[in-house]
Amino acid sequence: MNGTKKEIKMGREAILQSIKKNKPEALPMPIIDESAFYEDIDLLNAFKSNIALVGGTIKEIDVAQIDNELKTIYPKANHIVSATSKSTLGTIPFSKETDPHLFKDIDLAIVEGEIGVSENGAVWVSNTNSLVRALPFITNDLVIILNKSKICIHMLHAYDLIKDRDRDFGVFISGPSKTADIEQCLVVGAHGAMSLTVLLI
Amino acid sequence: MNHAKKAEIFNKDEAKVNWHDKALWYVREKRDNSAHKVQGWEYLRELGSAIKANVLSNLDEYLIQFETNAQKNGIKVHWASNAEEHNNIINSILEKHNAKKVVKSKSMLTEECHLNPFLEKKGIEVIDTDLGERIVQLAKEPPSHIVLPAIHKKKEEVDVLFQEHLGTKPSQGNPEYLVSEARKHLRNKFLNADVAITGVNFAPADTGGVVVCTNEGNADMGVHLAKVHIACMGIEKIIPKEKHLGVFLRLLARSATGQPITTYSSHFNKPDEGKEMHIVIVDNGRTEQLGREDFRASLHCIRCGACMNTCPIYRRSGGHSYDYAIPGPIGSILSPGKDLKKHSSLPFASTLCGSCSNVCPVKINIHEQLYKWRQVIVKEQKQPIVKKSVLKIAGVVLSKPKLYGFAGKSARFVLKHAPRFMIYNKLNAWGKARDLPEVKNENFDEWYKKRNKNG
Repeated sequence: MNGTKKEIKMGREAILQSIKKNKPEALPMPIIDESAFYEDIDLLNAFKSNIALVGGTIKEIDVAQIDNELKTIYPKANHIVSATSKSTLGTIPFSKETDPHLFKDIDLAIVEGEIGVSENGAVWVSNTNSLVRALPFITNDLVIILNKSKICIHMLHAYDLIKDRDRDFGVFISGPSKTADIEQCLVVGAHGAMSLTVLLI
Repeated sequence: MNHAKKAEIFNKDEAKVNWHDKALWYVREKRDNSAHKVQGWEYLRELGSAIKANVLSNLDEYLIQFETNAQKNGIKVHWASNAEEHNNIINSILEKHNAKKVVKSKSMLTEECHLNPFLEKKGIEVIDTDLGERIVQLAKEPPSHIVLPAIHKKKEEVDVLFQEHLGTKPSQGNPEYLVSEARKHLRNKFLNADVAITGVNFAPADTGGVVVCTNEGNADMGVHLAKVHIACMGIEKIIPKEKHLGVFLRLLARSATGQPITTYSSHFNKPDEGKEMHIVIVDNGRTEQLGREDFRASLHCIRCGACMNTCPIYRRSGGHSYDYAIPGPIGSILSPGKDLKKHSSLPFASTLCGSCSNVCPVKINIHEQLYKWRQVIVKEQKQPIVKKSVLKIAGVVLSKPKLYGFAGKSARFVLKHAPRFMIYNKLNAWGKARDLPEVKNENFDEWYKKRNKNG
């Protein structure tokens, strides 16, 4: 182990020395003028059309109607994990200590999203929302509940909104998992969720 | 074998080359449509370029800041000067955990370091989990594109590969069926993996975390199920602030595939409870490239592949003809810095049309660097005697207007009246597989003067 440690240290010093020797004169960090990206658009409509563009489904709905709506969309879902108090459909009790391998056969996961981005239909989901990090990925179908007042215009604004979070794990999710690796044919449902429904409340 | 020779092999199947050419151009068009929808796109590119330039000018400080912040969050940071150190570090982590099964999401760096064969020799199973990468892994080939690793394969070829390795039924290359079978096959690998290795798209110094972008969700499936996550990054993946992701994530997917963003942009800042997270920071020739003023900006690259999709040479020669982990225009300016002799034909695999520089989201002057590498190579590498003498004669002719006029006249006369075999032979690469344009009686100069008189 000692040998390895020494080698690692050498790598670090050697790299830093080499950068010092080879780097150019200091160049300034640019100041971002966000007004250059301003557009007078309807955030909600743009968000909706971008969710559709990336292969997701979106619906505006009353909180009280969530369970009924989900029963209609996913009539065959039996193994359901709900990480939100806004739905009572969960059939599998779990906590943040649950081994994610136990989720391998779940049909549906329901989580809350924190913010939506209108330019690309992405929704920020952190492990505060999903409790188990693997949940939004390992589930067959994914539902994200999002408050429509939490939609922002673009990614720069999105990073302002999440800057004070407790940083452990978080992900922008834009649509269901997909691939075009076979002859450029788009196939929805690669390794992550096969479908994504965003419920706007 | 040089680029032209390998390209010749790829060009044997004309129908496939035509398909490859069109498929990539279609991706380029999707990039255009997507970029044109963004208010302030050109300014966004300028910002991307300026942020990367700032990173390179202060890279040592940013790396130290990144390391400190990562360690604060319980991430173990390792440094590797070269490929060998990188591979050894990963092996020592695997040994410590007695890991035998590894799932890996896309990482061009691990390709560059030849990690897979290194680990396989030690009896470790390494599964590439990006579908395109899995396809080429099963075919025992390297990726031919950094974003679309199996773009050179037809669906019928994938069908046969899957029948052989995954036991699928013949489907005449039905993409839906093949993807669903791959999903089952890889799900099993995710569920049983000991360690997940990922690449890194961006590493903000102010948070010490890493961001990984995928469409398939394979990086997350691997990381969240395995007990150890190893993220491998080149030193140039650093960005100063997390907020700058707001610039780069807007540029990356639009430039790569025309999507407004990848399906998943995952931010790994802390290991999950009871698990371990490692980051391996790799040099492997990058600091040397940093010292080359003319070629420094090649380190801005965010690996979107836009320069490949637009390149008329790449589209018609295929990624394998470059024989380097990163093919295409960007690979042709990165590789000579690694091994000038081995990759000396790559800067010549270009028409210098400049399309690569025009689409680059971080404004790397790729075509200018290609031209500069040519100058370096001509000085340092032995050139073929034919090329040398032809260029010498051309130099003399071009410097003497009268001689130039005479040479042009004679050439036009010969091209018009000489028998076919004298013009279309091995010495004339321009006459290969096509006819030269019709020869006129006068040159441009004469035509222009006459035109002025008449007009």
